[in-house]
Amino acid sequence: MLLQLNNIFKWVNSGGQRIFLLKDINLEVEEGEFISIMGPSGSGKSTLLNVIGMLDTFDEGEYNFLEESVHDLKEKHRANLYKEYIGFVFQSYHLLDELTVQENLEMPLIYKKFKGSERKAMVADMLDRFSIVGKKDLFPAQLSGGQQQLVGIARALISNPKLILADEPTGNLNSKQGEEIMELFKQLNDEGVTIIQVTHSEKNAEYGSRIINLLDGRMI
Amino acid sequence: MYKLYLKIASRYLFKNKLYSFINIFGLTVGIASFILIMLYVNHEHSYDKFEGSDRVYRVYMDYLEGGKYVPGDANAYILSGPALQEQFPEIEEFARLRRLGEVVLLHDDGIFDHNTASLADPTYFDVFDRSLEKGDIANALSEPYSIVLSTALSKKIFGDADPLGKTLKIAGSGDLLFTVTGTMDNKGYNTHLKNDFLVSFKTFYTWERFKQDWDYTWNQNAYFTYIKVDKNADIAQLGQKIMDYVPEGLKNERHHIEPIEDIHLNSNKPYEAETNGNGNNVRFLAIIAFITLLLCWMNYMNLSSSKSLERAKEVGIRKVVGAKKPQLALQFLLESALLNFVAIILAMLSVYILLPSFNDLVEQDLGLDKAQLMSLLPYLAIMLVGASLAAFYPAFVLTRFNPTKALKGKAQTSSGGAFFIKSLVVCQFVATIALLIGTFVANKQIHFLKNRPIGANLEPVIALKGQVLNKTSDSLFNMSFDAFEDELRKIPYIAEVTGAGTYPGDSFDNLNSNMGITFPNGKTDEKHIWYNYSVGAEYFDVMGMEFVAGGPFIQTSQKSSNNVVINEKMVHFMEVTDVESIVGKTINYWGADWTVAGVIKDYNHSGMKSPVVPMVIRHTRNSQNVLVKLDRKAMTMGNTEKALDDMNRIWHQIFPVSTYNYTFLDQKYEALFKDEQKFAKAFQLFTVLAILIASLGLFGLTSYTCLQRTKEIGIRKVNGATITQILSLLNKDFVKWVGLAFVIAVPVAWYAMDKWLSVFAYKTPLSWWVFALAGILALMIALLTVSWQSLKAAMTNPVESLRSE
Repeated sequence: MLLQLNNIFKWVNSGGQRIFLLKDINLEVEEGEFISIMGPSGSGKSTLLNVIGMLDTFDEGEYNFLEESVHDLKEKHRANLYKEYIGFVFQSYHLLDELTVQENLEMPLIYKKFKGSERKAMVADMLDRFSIVGKKDLFPAQLSGGQQQLVGIARALISNPKLILADEPTGNLNSKQGEEIMELFKQLNDEGVTIIQVTHSEKNAEYGSRIINLLDGRMI
Repeated sequence: MYKLYLKIASRYLFKNKLYSFINIFGLTVGIASFILIMLYVNHEHSYDKFEGSDRVYRVYMDYLEGGKYVPGDANAYILSGPALQEQFPEIEEFARLRRLGEVVLLHDDGIFDHNTASLADPTYFDVFDRSLEKGDIANALSEPYSIVLSTALSKKIFGDADPLGKTLKIAGSGDLLFTVTGTMDNKGYNTHLKNDFLVSFKTFYTWERFKQDWDYTWNQNAYFTYIKVDKNADIAQLGQKIMDYVPEGLKNERHHIEPIEDIHLNSNKPYEAETNGNGNNVRFLAIIAFITLLLCWMNYMNLSSSKSLERAKEVGIRKVVGAKKPQLALQFLLESALLNFVAIILAMLSVYILLPSFNDLVEQDLGLDKAQLMSLLPYLAIMLVGASLAAFYPAFVLTRFNPTKALKGKAQTSSGGAFFIKSLVVCQFVATIALLIGTFVANKQIHFLKNRPIGANLEPVIALKGQVLNKTSDSLFNMSFDAFEDELRKIPYIAEVTGAGTYPGDSFDNLNSNMGITFPNGKTDEKHIWYNYSVGAEYFDVMGMEFVAGGPFIQTSQKSSNNVVINEKMVHFMEVTDVESIVGKTINYWGADWTVAGVIKDYNHSGMKSPVVPMVIRHTRNSQNVLVKLDRKAMTMGNTEKALDDMNRIWHQIFPVSTYNYTFLDQKYEALFKDEQKFAKAFQLFTVLAILIASLGLFGLTSYTCLQRTKEIGIRKVNGATITQILSLLNKDFVKWVGLAFVIAVPVAWYAMDKWLSVFAYKTPLSWWVFALAGILALMIALLTVSWQSLKAAMTNPVESLRSE
């Protein structure tokens, strides 16, 4: 098992009232799964994804990731954990505008302290795999949305994560580009990468092996 | 509409308390510093400025030394004034003043000492554009034995009674009566030539006090001489003519003139009337004042421009609902105006409150009177123009935002704007580093001066000075004086006592300057100035002066002999290499032979601004000063007070009718570079303030860059960057800017401080570590300021920064 959420609660206090963002979430994810999280705006999809990604904390419950109790871990250990095993893909790609495609891909490797030669090899490998070698010296602004998201996914994959978390990865793309990205996800999943995506689209959700529906922070 | 704008502006300022505080505080500090410094600078520049002062010049003497003329003496000859006026029709008038030294006035039973006074020509009032409070200005100084008192002194002596026609006695002049013919108000009158009272010059010709000077020829040069020239005179030409003019009887010297307005700040000749100010220091302070002001405006621009980023959304909404550019600009300008106005008011208030402490610091009596405030008006205009310029930039930036982008919270400032802000910060750091270097150098120099061995031991020595008012005969007085010295010697904690005409740190007036001396080898020197004074035999012991050859005078029963002690510099003059060979030999000057008893190591008589001069010290009975060397070992804590009490008691036992005061030699010597100390203190204070202001600006800039890079920081963190890595990413730029500022600041500061040091005869080296230290300090200050904000940015949860979709 890759990860397990038991009775996760997350809330904020507003005007003397406790507003639940996540309410009693129980979820088990096996390695190799492709899960789609669906639900209306404000239902807690992104919050759940952030909790799974350890970017956000929760107030109650247990979270085990690869046999580690995330709820007991200190901030620093938690950060190390997600840096090693999780890759993030965003709706608006979040590429650094001042860096070229190649440099954007290299960035996570620098922070993981790979040697220069290794980094080069890994970046080249990834460029090759996504067939974007010709675009390696372009800046994000010179790419189409689909191409930017491709780079975003490549960046998430570059340090071989076990889990990819994607927050509406096709939200900013047209349908054709979206389809290509989803195909890519499916292909990656077939290669053994676990994927959890947040999506609004029934069609995109179909690519996954399992759908989780959220409403007002609760799984239904 | 304006009311609404003002309401919004004040609400905005209240809501953003930290921002408003930093801004107002920075501006207040900057403006207040500026006003304080300029009050001081204006005061220093106000010396000898009066109606027609641009036509008044002082005549001084150049000496021919080693074939070249050097400024030798602030005084001129008694005949200089009349001779020059006769020779040159451009000279309308001249006024001579002869210093009387410290004068004690007697009236009924009252004794009034500590007076600075001069003999003065009747033309004095006209040349110096003075007026009398009481008395007839046309005749006040025309009769012998007339005296004009300062209003303050008159009040001290006569109270509220009318002083005109009353008579006074001057101690040491027997029963001679001086008649008060006028009073002058010295309050607010800034001059290099201060006088508590004036005595008519005609008195000179009959007053016994000046008996030895009556053969008035080209021999007596103790006369400050001022000329008033015709409006249309060509000054450069007149100056040249005066230099070329050699009156009969004047040898190896020439006359020279200088504007009276320049004396206080730029003249440092031997025999000045008082230790003048230092023009360099005043110029430096004025520059610092303007830098401080500039810094605080840059700061303001910086902070408001960076803050404007946060207001992008507000601007977007306003534009969408129909605000036009000028309307928006007006709103932001009003906001700036409000802020600057508050700051100026607060600054005025701070000046008012801080002025007494500032006066203590710079040892001045600066006031915020109407005249002073009026003199600040032009600067106030500069301030207002500067403040509105400073206000214009943020308004300009804010109104430029594209509304749709701004609404999305994606205000992109142009790279030009970023460059502008960065250059402001670099400028601020150039100023900070330069000021830091300046402070270090000034303090280092003062430390250097204080610790440089002067070649004499001043610390445990006290100089006693008194005037006996009922002196009957010289022999009787000498006996009493010997008795006084003997009494002092009996006190266990007094190590030694001596009489001395003058001592290191005392004013130039008590030192004789001479030209012409015949050395033991028969060679005669007519070209160099040398100095002499007279002391008792114990002087060298009291002062701890070291002999390189020979020894002190042998004490005689008359306490006086034809023995002299000379210094090494004098030996150097003789071009003798074997110092021992001079001891016991004869030198000749003043038409008499003198035997060299010993040669002392060079010591600094007049402070470290002037180099060591050739010196001859004569052996003579002396009652001008009594130097008392305390035995520190025999004293316990707080015993200095008791020693002073004892000395005072013994003095008054022996001389019941007398004045009496004392001076600590080390303090008096230190006072010689008081101006530099004041300068260093002021420099230090304003450097700290400037750094404070610059830090505030940096603080603002950091928040600006952090805000701008929020997204980038988030992405990097999600991709595995640690806090340390983010911190170094953010701080790297600032280190670069400080580096750049350092490179610019070092040559500027080096040049400026080299210039500042040039007036000292002895100067501390401009060591590399001073520069390094300033750089490191600036870097540390920068990093500390920056890290506060960047740490906050680095620690933010990336979820926050990436959510804005």
